[in-house]
Amino acid sequence: MASRSSSSHPAVAVRGLERAFKGGIKAVDGLDLEVPEGEIYGFLGPNGAGKTTTVRILVTLLRPTGGEARVAGHDVVSDADAVRRNIGVALQEAAIDPLMSGVELLRMQGALHGMRGSEARGRATELLERVGLTDAGGRRVGQYSGGMRRRLDLAMALVHRPKVLFLDEPTTGLDPTSRNALWREVRGLNDDGTTVFLTTQYLEEAEQLADRVGIIAGGSLVAEGTPAELKSRVGEPTLHVDLAEGADVPAARRALSTVGPLVDCADDARVAIRAARGKATVPDAIRALDDAGIAVESVEVVSPTLDDVFAAVTGSTLEGAGGGAADGETAGVGA
Amino acid sequence: MIAAAARESRVVGALGRRALTLQFRRAQLLMPTFVLPLFLLAVIASGTSAGRDLRDFPEVSSYLGFVVAGTLLQGALLAGLTAGIAMASDIEGGFFDRLLAAPVRRTSLVLGRLAGTLGLAVLQMAWFLTVALIFGASYPGGVLGAVGAAILAALTAVGIGGLAIAIAIRTGSMNLMQSIFPFVFVLLFTAPAFFPRDLLTPTLHDIAAYNPLTYVVEGARGLLQDDASLGDPWLGLAAAVGLAAFATGLAVLALRDRARRT
Ligand SMILES: Nc1ncnc2c1ncn2[C@@H]1O[C@H](COP(=O)(O)OP(=O)(O)OP(=O)(O)O)[C@@H](O)[C@H]1O
Ligand SMILES: [Mg+2]
Repeated sequence: MASRSSSSHPAVAVRGLERAFKGGIKAVDGLDLEVPEGEIYGFLGPNGAGKTTTVRILVTLLRPTGGEARVAGHDVVSDADAVRRNIGVALQEAAIDPLMSGVELLRMQGALHGMRGSEARGRATELLERVGLTDAGGRRVGQYSGGMRRRLDLAMALVHRPKVLFLDEPTTGLDPTSRNALWREVRGLNDDGTTVFLTTQYLEEAEQLADRVGIIAGGSLVAEGTPAELKSRVGEPTLHVDLAEGADVPAARRALSTVGPLVDCADDARVAIRAARGKATVPDAIRALDDAGIAVESVEVVSPTLDDVFAAVTGSTLEGAGGGAADGETAGVGA
Repeated sequence: MIAAAARESRVVGALGRRALTLQFRRAQLLMPTFVLPLFLLAVIASGTSAGRDLRDFPEVSSYLGFVVAGTLLQGALLAGLTAGIAMASDIEGGFFDRLLAAPVRRTSLVLGRLAGTLGLAVLQMAWFLTVALIFGASYPGGVLGAVGAAILAALTAVGIGGLAIAIAIRTGSMNLMQSIFPFVFVLLFTAPAFFPRDLLTPTLHDIAAYNPLTYVVEGARGLLQDDASLGDPWLGLAAAVGLAAFATGLAVLALRDRARRT
């Protein structure tokens, strides 16, 4: 009954959350975050950062060893059932029975949420259409491609029209087309009012989808903000030009400096500039070099990666992130 | 209250249906539950029907009709074991997480799996009794006796299923479940599945008295042969119901414990 007033609290509220596993690994270590209703929150972090552990706690599959978490206004431990009624979950490994058909799985999921047979059937048809699996619905899931499985998994998470949707790395392993389709779907759901908590290792995904991004490393948040805010900490994309053999490097540097500010480059045959407009900078750069009569071997635009965001907020690389969590916190606050 | 019960019963129904459907789609589960017990029946019926000529072997209308009760019991054991294997597979594969994240009573997750086992066992028993009938078994107890025997065996399947599920939930390991397989035969042969209790060796005879399956198989035999001296159906029912209730309780406890531990 407490859920009547649910619109007044955040969709996800996490305070001092901790989870230690046997052997002393603290997968989540003092996590604080808050996701208001209606937001798409991107939870970004490298392998082993604690994303899945956090999600599993939020969806009541794992108990925290410290701190607290509330989802849709309900405590994930003491009021787990109320949480379960309000959430949809698509876990990292989409566990779907290869021997069942899409329709069968959706109907079973409907029954798990208290639907009657006819209601569950109707909802299954509706959702299959929504995720573009109408034709494949009767086929066994074992024959589905990775992208189809992901979409079915999403459809299953939506059966009961959840308020808060948890997606753990929904697009890992998908090709660009499938990834785009899934992004569109997630945006559509959010437009309909669903709060989305999504984990990802891809900066681009967070940028494309998330209203706000939290970066997790070593089990705690090292930075948080809108994608634009985070990017501004890292800086802009850079344009790298590899010069042809024997090219006049100083002349190339002069020519390119008219296009954008020069960036230091370790390689002598390479010149780099900041490219605020990303790939749109390429034609200008080529023209400037051409006008100066400089032969170019290749050009590439390098956008900041998660690694760069990491380096910027934590002062360490992704590989070193596990151990660098403590520095990360101070750097994150200071940045 | 009633709405909640109706809701949970839909959950149990849906999970039971899924369990049964998968049972028939997985050949490696179908063989042991529907075929293996018939092999053993064929071997026993052809090789040991001489046992019938032994002194003290009870007067029965057909030897096949006598030993088929053991086949029912074996089917029940294997149906129960596959429930555990399927549960372990759900846990290992992550499907069980999907169920755990749904707003359903934990008890319903156990009951749903066992509903599938009950359905499976009823089909098995009908199949075994029919095949034996075709090969010459006679059931003086008639249809009612056969139905009664099938119910006893199906309840036993639920009991064994509950034990297997409890182990699966505690360990979450497919390998372990599969390695329990031989143990099933220990349970089978420490009950008078294919011989009357009085013909068992003294040690086995004593052990059999403590094996609840003894009373199930004897009760089923009494019903099939319409002969109370072969076994007391009520004692069989008490053993089967007792085992089922006890084992279901164990499985529910295991699930609660698991939730607390994870
Ligand atoms: N059940 C477990 N027992 C012991 N350690 C665990 C367990 N689950 C996770 N861990 C450890 O906790 C840490 C965080 O794992 P987690 O799966 O949450 O990371 P993640 O951010 O989801 O990584 P990925 O991107 O690879 O999915 C890792 O060091 C992992 O080894
Ligand atoms: Mg993960």
